[in-house]
Amino acid sequence: MTERTKQPAEPVVYVIDDDSSVRAALEDLLESVGLRVRTFGSPGEFLGSPGDDAPGCMVLDVRMPGRSGMDFHRQLEGLGIRLPVVFITGHGDIPMGVAAMKNGAVDFLAKPFRDQDLLDAIQCGIRKDVARRAEESATAELQARWDSLSPGEQDVARLVVDGWLNKQIAARLNLSEITVKVRRGHVMRKLQARSLADLVRLTGRLGIGAPGGPSAGSP
Amino acid sequence: MISDHAQRSRRSGRFLRFALLAMAMAVIFVVDTAMNYEVAAAVFYAVVILMAARGSSRHALVALTGLCVAVTFLSFSLTPQGNFRTGLINMGISITVILMTTWLVLKMQTATAAANDAQARLMRIARVTSLEGLTTSIAHEVNQPLAAIVASGNAGQRWLAQDPPNIGKASQALERILGDAGRASAIIARVRGLTKGEPPHRSEFDVNQALLEVVASSQGEIDRRDILLSTELGAGLPLAMADRVQTQQVIGNVLLNAIESVASSGKPVRRIRITSELDDGRIVLSMFDTGVGLPQAAGEQLFEAFWTTKENGIGVGLSISRTLVEANGGQIWAEPLAEGGAVFRFSIPTAVQAETRDD
Repeated sequence: MTERTKQPAEPVVYVIDDDSSVRAALEDLLESVGLRVRTFGSPGEFLGSPGDDAPGCMVLDVRMPGRSGMDFHRQLEGLGIRLPVVFITGHGDIPMGVAAMKNGAVDFLAKPFRDQDLLDAIQCGIRKDVARRAEESATAELQARWDSLSPGEQDVARLVVDGWLNKQIAARLNLSEITVKVRRGHVMRKLQARSLADLVRLTGRLGIGAPGGPSAGSP
Repeated sequence: MISDHAQRSRRSGRFLRFALLAMAMAVIFVVDTAMNYEVAAAVFYAVVILMAARGSSRHALVALTGLCVAVTFLSFSLTPQGNFRTGLINMGISITVILMTTWLVLKMQTATAAANDAQARLMRIARVTSLEGLTTSIAHEVNQPLAAIVASGNAGQRWLAQDPPNIGKASQALERILGDAGRASAIIARVRGLTKGEPPHRSEFDVNQALLEVVASSQGEIDRRDILLSTELGAGLPLAMADRVQTQQVIGNVLLNAIESVASSGKPVRRIRITSELDDGRIVLSMFDTGVGLPQAAGEQLFEAFWTTKENGIGVGLSISRTLVEANGGQIWAEPLAEGGAVFRFSIPTAVQAETRDD
């Protein structure tokens, strides 16, 4: 629908409800507080439309013909969609609410709800999504930095993180100690790591650093 | 078209059956008359009665039996030869067989009707138990437009609160509100239509008999709660003209209320008294109980849906009762009793009353 824009994207609220008048009313309500809204009559319709590259929050009806909101919520993770979800329902009961919250929903509101409750829940969802996206983009950037290392530099980095000394690394990789030192310098610079501890933390975020350091086994 | 056709085929089927019966009777008559006294062909009239048993009314069956007996007599007097004494004994046996057959058929018909009634009652009870599911879906249906109305109202307020106010958007919100309100009331009208059920099937019946049947089916509950139940049924009441099953359902509802009220009152005197009487051309059933009585200022609310004083009640019993009573042309009302407890009364039109009203 919208072209990807590189400026800090405005958050989008996705409303999925099979009832057209609820959709229209929520769209108007959310627009009246200046939020961007997209509405869908079913989960299928939502999945069939291109996603926005923007933080967002999903307002999901529990009872819909075909796929229920609860089932859809459980499937979201598998579909690679990590939008925070605010449930709205026409016949909420406590067990249903508990199940939704356990599954990670932001809130569970019974229709008819106070507008402020919905807006608060949506704002909370958007904040969560903004934080998640920031975290994800930081990780992506880090990954890009890691990918910019040469294979030889990556080998050295792994062993450094695993706790080997330069001398040991040189022996294991069959290199001179000088080369190891040079590569190690490149790793620190390219990954923008200020210290060894920083390097360990950064590579930890990428899941790098295989078990099997000097303390775990013999060289 | 289809129903017309079905009716015609049913009518022709009935005619065929009638012709068959008449033919069988004629054959038996001829054989019985032509043969000696010693041959008791009249016994086979019992077969005719059995053939007629399905789908004939009690009156028709009794009339047919009378006819068979009369014809047996006629054959006997027309038979020209044979031993007269043997013929007399044979005739006696034939008539006894005919009468016994009729008696058994009538008993069987009553039992079948009772079984059918009981089944119909069970089905209606099942419908009430599905009420919980029904209310959930009603709540869901009605909450949709309500949610839309509230959200649109909030949106409208926010559009108006802007500087300058967005009148166009606000009036759009108002329009949606009106539309959704209309939708909500349409849902309610539809639900009402859904629960209204079938129109009553009116027929003549003995109210006292119907009442005693309900009492008998509740006897276990009454004994278990240690309640003394007495009836003072009016003698010689005219037949009622109403749906028998629905009337019994109302009696059952009111009786159940009385039982629960008495049981929960904790008073030493635990009594229910049921009376039936003719009042101004209609039959009035009254159920006096020594229960908790009526809450003050309950008034008309008593019979409104979802209004209850019971902890576990959903408050539809009396509402359903009123609907049924009124559908049958009667009224239901309640009064507190000075000595504690309450009396619930309802009226049922009589057959005579219904006729004069129809004219």
